[in-house]
Order: sequence, then C-alpha cells, then structure tokens
Amino acid sequence: MMRNPRAIGERALPALTVMIFLLAWEIFVRARGIAPIFLPAPSSIAIYLYRMIIDGTIISNLGVTLLRIFVGFALAAASGILLGLLMGMSRIVARIADAWIAALYPLPKISLIPLLIIWLGTGEAYKIMISAVTAFFPIVISTYAGIRQVDQGLIKAAKDLGADQRQIQLKVVIPAAIPSILAGLQLGMGVTIILVVAAEMIGTSAHGGMGYLLISAGQVMETEKVFASLVVLAVVGALVIKLQQWTDRKLAPWAAHADER
Amino acid sequence: MDVVVDCVSKVWGSAGESVVALERISHRFHSRRFACILGPSGCGKSTLIQIIAGLEQATAGAVRIQVPGEGEPRQPGMDSVMVWQNLNLFPWRNVIDNVAFGLEMRGMPRAKRHERARALIASVGLRGFEQHLPGKLSGGMRQRVALARALILERPILLMDEPFAALDAQTKIIMQEELLRIFERTHKTALFVTHAIEEAILLGDEVVVMTARPGRVKEVIPVGLARPRSLEMVNTKEFGGLFDRVFHLIREEVMTSMAQQAAVVAGT
Repeated sequence: MMRNPRAIGERALPALTVMIFLLAWEIFVRARGIAPIFLPAPSSIAIYLYRMIIDGTIISNLGVTLLRIFVGFALAAASGILLGLLMGMSRIVARIADAWIAALYPLPKISLIPLLIIWLGTGEAYKIMISAVTAFFPIVISTYAGIRQVDQGLIKAAKDLGADQRQIQLKVVIPAAIPSILAGLQLGMGVTIILVVAAEMIGTSAHGGMGYLLISAGQVMETEKVFASLVVLAVVGALVIKLQQWTDRKLAPWAAHADER
Repeated sequence: MDVVVDCVSKVWGSAGESVVALERISHRFHSRRFACILGPSGCGKSTLIQIIAGLEQATAGAVRIQVPGEGEPRQPGMDSVMVWQNLNLFPWRNVIDNVAFGLEMRGMPRAKRHERARALIASVGLRGFEQHLPGKLSGGMRQRVALARALILERPILLMDEPFAALDAQTKIIMQEELLRIFERTHKTALFVTHAIEEAILLGDEVVVMTARPGRVKEVIPVGLARPRSLEMVNTKEFGGLFDRVFHLIREEVMTSMAQQAAVVAGT
C-alpha cells in the first residue's frame, strides 16, 4: 500500500519538535554551564531516571501513588454514580442534593486539606479522602446531567413499545446516560491524579508516593530527581487517560467520544 | 380495528400563553384501511397521531379503539405501534435487540424473541446486519429496523409519523414500495402522517387534509386507485386529478401557515 508522504510527515512532526526542544535544551545547558540544581541537562535527567528505575525508587513510589489513585477514584465513582442515579430518579433527592452540590462544588477542595489532616491524620485515609471528595463532584454532576438529558423521543418510543416505568429507567434512561457518566469518570480521574500527588506533597509520608518523592528531592535540591519524577508522572498520567478512553470506547461504542472530536 | 377520533382538542401551554394545536377534530379511521393525514407543518398532525397512540392526552374529546361488531371501545395505546420520523432507535442496542425490544418488555425469553426478531429482520431485507449498531447503518437501513421493531409486536394498528421525511429521494421510493408490500400482506389499520401530497395519494385509501393551526379536518378525499399500488400509478390521469384536488386544498392552508409563521417572526 502506498503511504502518503505528507501524512507521514504530519505524524512525525510532533515527535520531531520534542527532539529539537530537548536538543536545544541540552546545548543551552552545556554551552552556558548552568548548574544542575537550577536546570539539569536532559541527558543527566535520563541517567537519573534510569538509576531510579533500576534501584526500585520509581516502582515503589509509583505503586503507592497508583494504589491511592485507584482507591480514591473507585470511592468517588461508586458514590458519585449512585447519587447521580438517585437524583435522576427522584425529584426530592435531586432538590436536596442540588443545593448541597451548588454550595460545595465551587469550594476549592484543596482547601479542605487542613481539616482532613486534623480529622484523619496524614496517613492513607486523608489522601484517599481528599481525592475521592474532589472526584465525586464531576462524577455526580455528569451522571445526573446524563439522566436528565435523555432524549424524550426514546422514552416515548419505549413506552409505545410496551415498557413500564421501571423498564424505561433500566432499559432506556440508564443506558442512554452511560456516555455522560463515562465523561464524568474521565474528569474525575484527572482530578484524582492531581489531588493524590498534591496530598502526598503536603502530608509527609512514611509510605512515600510520587508527590513525596518530588517534594523530598526538591527540598535537597536534587533537581534531576525532580525532573525524572515529573517525566514519570506525565507518562503515567497520559497512559491512564489513554486506557480510560480505550475502555470507554469498549463500553459505549455507540457514543461520540471526546478524543475523536 | 377502527380508530375513532371524537371531538379531540389539544391546547399546549398554560392559561397565559396557550396555543391551540388541535380544534375539535373528529374522524373515523376504518379497519384495515390506509389513511394518510396531510397538512402543512405546524398543523398538529404529529400531536394528533401521538394522542391516537396514547402518548399524549387530549385536552378535550377522546380517542377510542373500536372493534367492529363489539360493544365496548378500548383505550388507545395497547393496540397500536408507532414508527417515528426520527426513528428513535436505541443507539446502544444492535439491530436484533432493537427489533426485539417490545418482546423483551413483555418478558419473552431471549432465545425466542431473537428467533422472532431474526425472521422480521430478514423480511425487511436486513439479514446479516443483526449485530450492527444503528449508528453504523444507512438511513434507509435504519428505517427498516424501525419498521421491523414496530411490526414484530403484531399490533393491528400501525401509526407512522412522517417516517420517510428524512430519507433521500431514491431511498424514500424504495421504502414506500416496501411499506405498500407490507400493508398488502398484513392489512393493518394504517395511519400515516405526511406533508407530501404524492406520498399521501400513493399510499392511502383516503387522504385526511388538515387545516393550518389550529388543526381541524378540512376535507377527506377518498383515493380510488386500485391495489396493489405501484409507483407507476403516479403518471396516470386519475392520480393527476387527485393530486390537483389535494394540492388546491393544501395550498390555501400552506399560505395561511406561512402567514402565521411570518407573523411570529415579525412579532419577535
């Protein structure tokens, strides 16, 4: 099969810009003799990264962070979807929950950290709680919106075909809301990652984590380690989002997904 | 089964800003006959067919389903099934589960309802597409799925609300022929809403012409064309005569409807 050379060029272009950027960075640092504690060269960051992978630093800290992300996200997803569905099905629940969400949603969740540390200490419970509370809001809001925005034509059609109220809820309303629920889960995953890493940076932890690794390397000016940790976080974050987009397409192949627009 | 529309009125909105969509409509749609309801857009024909389907409530008057020779009339809804203009297929269900939806709601076991659905899918020419999602099909194929989903319930009254309005001209012709074939085989009581004069005459045993809003019955034109119908009949003198008659009726109403819309635009 003939490949369009221009199409190949377009695909390679982003990678090329990254390479040029790294090369320029390397030359700049070496030519000016900049101290590594301010700005290490990409090559030395790579060496540090390699060492940190070999000695297990990355694996252990990343593992802890991913576990926290997973638990926080699972809690937020379960409670957010459940409340969103209840709001969609009961006007009274929606009225009450709406008021609470309107009051609490605009509050920057990060400002709850002092309170949560007072109540829960600086251990696992606080880190999981802060990420779950933050992710809960986009998930519950998207779930409720998905249920409210169900095409009335589909509901009428189901009714015409003999569905009763319960069947309409289970067989039409909930499936129709799935794309919106998945979109909420994606937003929730994004903030979970942010909040877990932020929480790890604030409550010093015996059990580590990527946020802890970052802040402790920063405090002793091991700038190469800081950069190496950032690279790991960026790559893992991108992988998690990609994985989620892939599962979304598997779960809701009929819907238009955000990454296809 | 006869569909008896008895002095049905429908008013949308509250006391302050209300729109009279239908005004004292009465008509008897006879068993096993094909009736086309023709009117300018906004004349309330979709509202009327949804009231007949039992999906909307009339503000005044009533719709009854009357079995000829039996005493007690029945409530609308149970004996009819609708094919919608925008189809309203369930996008997350594949073809076979869309078609089998009504049977699933009745609690029919999966194997049995799939068997029935497969037969219906084959009868509308979609064999091999059972596992496709509606989004992957062309407009004409989706239309066939919608027809099969309605026909599988074997209800005696088939309601259609501009089902072919969104199709391209060629596909529309094929679907009209398909519908004629189905009608001639099953002889259901068929009510077909349209704003296309040719379509109304080609398909119907009678054309119920409605007025611009508020919708009333302006005139009922019987169509004496022989069955089975075919598209070639469009070129006959008889068809031409009917077309002229309906055209002049509908023309006045379209003018009124356009004047109403212009007034709304001017008012905003």
